[in-house]
Amino acid sequence: MTKVVVVIPAFDEGACIGGVVSTVRMGGYECTVVDDASTDRTAEIAEQAGAVVIRLPINLGVGGALRAGFRHAVDNGADTVVQVDGDGQHPAEQIGTLLKHLDAGHLDMVVGSRFAPGGASAPQSNPRRAAIRVLSTTLRRRGGVSISDPTSGFRAIRDPLLTAFATNFPHHYLGDTFEALLVAGRRGYKIGEVPVEMRARQGGQPSAALPASVRAMLRALTVPFTGCSFDLPPRA
Amino acid sequence: MLVILGLTRRRLLTTRYTLGWLGVGALVALAAMTMPFVGQLGKVANITPTAVLLMISSLLLLAISIQLSISVSLLQERLRTTAEAHALLARRVSDLERPA
Repeated sequence: MTKVVVVIPAFDEGACIGGVVSTVRMGGYECTVVDDASTDRTAEIAEQAGAVVIRLPINLGVGGALRAGFRHAVDNGADTVVQVDGDGQHPAEQIGTLLKHLDAGHLDMVVGSRFAPGGASAPQSNPRRAAIRVLSTTLRRRGGVSISDPTSGFRAIRDPLLTAFATNFPHHYLGDTFEALLVAGRRGYKIGEVPVEMRARQGGQPSAALPASVRAMLRALTVPFTGCSFDLPPRA
Repeated sequence: MLVILGLTRRRLLTTRYTLGWLGVGALVALAAMTMPFVGQLGKVANITPTAVLLMISSLLLLAISIQLSISVSLLQERLRTTAEAHALLARRVSDLERPA
């Protein structure tokens, strides 16, 4: 018996959130939008489009919003969560593909990858591409996980990893993506990827400007040496 | 020291930090009173007594700022958990208040 909930972290995504939620609902999935203290009408629009909305009283960042969403899903009896961005760059029509792969491979997490053969994305700047490659290599060497797109926020996560994430999940930039994969890999959770075609963001603002990205990158790269900012129980 | 006691009485400082700061004050005062001994320490390392005193004070200040960073990190995590719990409860309350 599986129950799937789609969790969408959203900060000031009023321009796109309605469309994303509608697509998810049309696919027949329950949809939870975590409004990360937006200053626009994100929450109202998401609610009208048919999502259950959780409003955080203060801005916690993507990881903070996600943990709240995971907690809510787990508390409501879900054992699988699909995480989708609120800005419309993830193809919500491909949620089924992620779930199928999760079942077929008996995996704990499936990442939708822009860079796997058959995937596609809006053109990326060279430094960005290079940074993603470095993260991917680090992940393979240090975490034993082969994921071509470690910063992808389009993922399906299933119990027992979901329940573990609902308790322990980093909230800093790159923590929710790269570091979460690294720790899950080290702790023996099985992670796979499927190619997806991502679009350019449909509106709203990127979650990190350049200086923040550089800082996050430095921190992410020291993580394998300094230890991670969070931990998970080992996979049984 | 009077400033610290004043701040505590006006409840701007909790007892925990009052004790810490009073301890720091006491240590620095002790070092100042035992200047001859501090001077001996300095001779061993071939630096002036004043430099020894400065070194001790800056090490103490360093220790305090590290301790404060630890406190702030802990508080951030607690704030995050509290905000999360608040949001989930608010959701449940508005579900309950919705007319059936």
